[in-house]
Amino acid sequence: MDDYLIGVLSNIGVISFIALSAYLLLLTGEISFGQQAFFAIGAYAAGIATALWGWPLALALVWGAAIGGAAAVLVGIPTLRLHGLYFAIATLAFAEMVRILFELFRYQITIDGELVGPDGADGFRNIRYIFDNNIDAFQFLLLIYALLAVVLLGFVLLERSRLGVIFRMIGEDETLAGLQGVSIAHHKVLAAGISGALAGIGGGLYAHLTTYVEPRIFDVMLGVHSLAYGLIGGLGTALGPLLGVLIDIGVLESIRALSGYRMIIFGGLVALLLIVRPRGLLDENVVHKIGRFWRRISPWARRPGLNTGNRNNLTGGRP
Amino acid sequence: MLDLQAVSKHFGGVRAVDGVDLTVARGQILGLIGPNGSGKSTIVNLICGLFPLTSGRIVYNGADIADLPPHARVTMGIARTFQNIRLFGQLTVWQNLWVAQNSSEQRKQNFLKRWLGGSRSAREEIDRTLEFFDLAHKRDELAGNLAFGEQRRLEFARALSAKPALLLLDEPAAGMNAEEIDQLDGRIRRMRQDGITVLLIEHHVELVMSVADRIAVLNFGQKIAEGTPAAVQANPVVREAYLGTAAAA
Amino acid sequence: MRSIICTAAAIAMLALCGLEGAHAQVRAKAGVTCKPGTEKLQYDCIIKLANSKTNEPLSGLTLTVGADMPSMPAAHNVRPVGAAEDQEKGTYKARIVLEMYGDWALRLDLSGPVRDRVVKRLRFERDRVGETTPARAPGRHRH
Repeated sequence: MDDYLIGVLSNIGVISFIALSAYLLLLTGEISFGQQAFFAIGAYAAGIATALWGWPLALALVWGAAIGGAAAVLVGIPTLRLHGLYFAIATLAFAEMVRILFELFRYQITIDGELVGPDGADGFRNIRYIFDNNIDAFQFLLLIYALLAVVLLGFVLLERSRLGVIFRMIGEDETLAGLQGVSIAHHKVLAAGISGALAGIGGGLYAHLTTYVEPRIFDVMLGVHSLAYGLIGGLGTALGPLLGVLIDIGVLESIRALSGYRMIIFGGLVALLLIVRPRGLLDENVVHKIGRFWRRISPWARRPGLNTGNRNNLTGGRP
Repeated sequence: MLDLQAVSKHFGGVRAVDGVDLTVARGQILGLIGPNGSGKSTIVNLICGLFPLTSGRIVYNGADIADLPPHARVTMGIARTFQNIRLFGQLTVWQNLWVAQNSSEQRKQNFLKRWLGGSRSAREEIDRTLEFFDLAHKRDELAGNLAFGEQRRLEFARALSAKPALLLLDEPAAGMNAEEIDQLDGRIRRMRQDGITVLLIEHHVELVMSVADRIAVLNFGQKIAEGTPAAVQANPVVREAYLGTAAAA
Repeated sequence: MRSIICTAAAIAMLALCGLEGAHAQVRAKAGVTCKPGTEKLQYDCIIKLANSKTNEPLSGLTLTVGADMPSMPAAHNVRPVGAAEDQEKGTYKARIVLEMYGDWALRLDLSGPVRDRVVKRLRFERDRVGETTPARAPGRHRH
């Protein structure tokens, strides 16, 4: 495969993680402009783990996810009391704070006669794991997509599970969800933690893909984009944000004629879709219709069997 | 079972509910009537915890629940419906009932089963509820795509899925035709047979008179009368405040 | 469903384990000087590659030069171009075309006898190429 194609596909894969992270919060009705902070935390944590501490990549990625998730929970507990615009502003402020802290963050040690580690605004270079271990770009691409597949499978299970239904309930009507016996606060913090961990994995992969990170990578542009991917692609399925990433990086970025106007087209697309399709291209209705169509044509689909139980034993009589 | 003691709720200077005492006995259907803006819906919102009280106590099964969050009150067995239907329109009919389902049996299930699809008996219970409310054919439809009457039935079904001990019905007959009100009448009666205590708020006087064991009348946030349907109907204060104006109209 | 989860987890674990390979010991360092070319946004770069420990020039490598804009990760990635080795050992020449002026991170990908990546940050302007601006200084590139 062509190196450039591998590069673009790798980028799509890595950015998908942060898009999914923002998507999960969108499901619970929260608009976060701060997911790039957890992406950054994951990137630095995983990069430090392999480059400075000599950890294997798998462990480093898990570590990045854990730190990202823990940070998100800590931030989530106070901020999730806020709603709408206030929450958005709080997350934005937090993310900028994290970025500035990374500009001040220096932690370097000498390895093989060279200083390695985060060096404030100059960034963190030489996260050389894939070179030290002879992993070529294509293998790393496979790794990204294997992990993405696992995460997507997790989302498929989530959507079918009670937890997924609860997340959507909270997103649609928080008060009503509370009246179904659902603890709003617990579930929101849980969603924040999972989304922080997702962004953390993405950050860890990004750091090892590019081999260097610097604070300004994680500015608000990244957060706004990750949010926009779900809003463009659709909130009906986890494939929605992936579609958004594909449209942005895959199509707009790759068509050279468009590249100079990319931000204008992207911004216009977001504005247009928010008016025409407020919940994105693949919204709940579309997903539902596709699902129904699939059940109709597929011989394997589980048919909802109406059970044979006594239909009147609920309250003991005929309606 | 439920005891409101000198309950008040003020919104700024407006005394939406002003020192109301109300007792709902176990197994009883208490009708709560009153003109528009008399504070009926506010009382329901206070019982299920949507607003904090200004003053007073709400005692449920002997415990003061006034400071509990809504979800804790639901797990204690208080469920409600809304005057203007509130469903999760982006979820399927089945999912709407699934999360509301709150049987003791479900709490015993192992983690995976509970979170991925529910146990067989829990699923069957939902299917039974759907059939009872004549919604089985809409099982996988998004709730937002249902017709008005179906949405009303689904809301009712959802409230029952929580296996409530106390059900608060906020104007369930709003927008219904005579035949539907008749069905509703039957359903409320059978809930009493099943031992569910009901607080029924309703504009439709005939329905309340027909099903309620006792009736309380509110006006301007205060309780002006309480008694059997016949006694309330005969009460001159009530006739003036409420039935009288209705009769004159 | 459980079997699908197990299979997927197994694949992921295998993928991760397969990545643990032998260590390549040679590290590269690079000096990069660029100057504006004849056309708009076009730059000619001279890249000197050397072994970072011994300072020996690294010759006979395949070098590709890509560019990323740090203020927008994963986007604006300029299609990498190949660099040809000059007469002088370890000196390579490449002509890159960027999308806009501003701070770029040049990504030098080495393959062949030595596999490595070196990242150089440079500020590309209309008439000159210089050091990147400090991260928070005013006038930094924004979209």
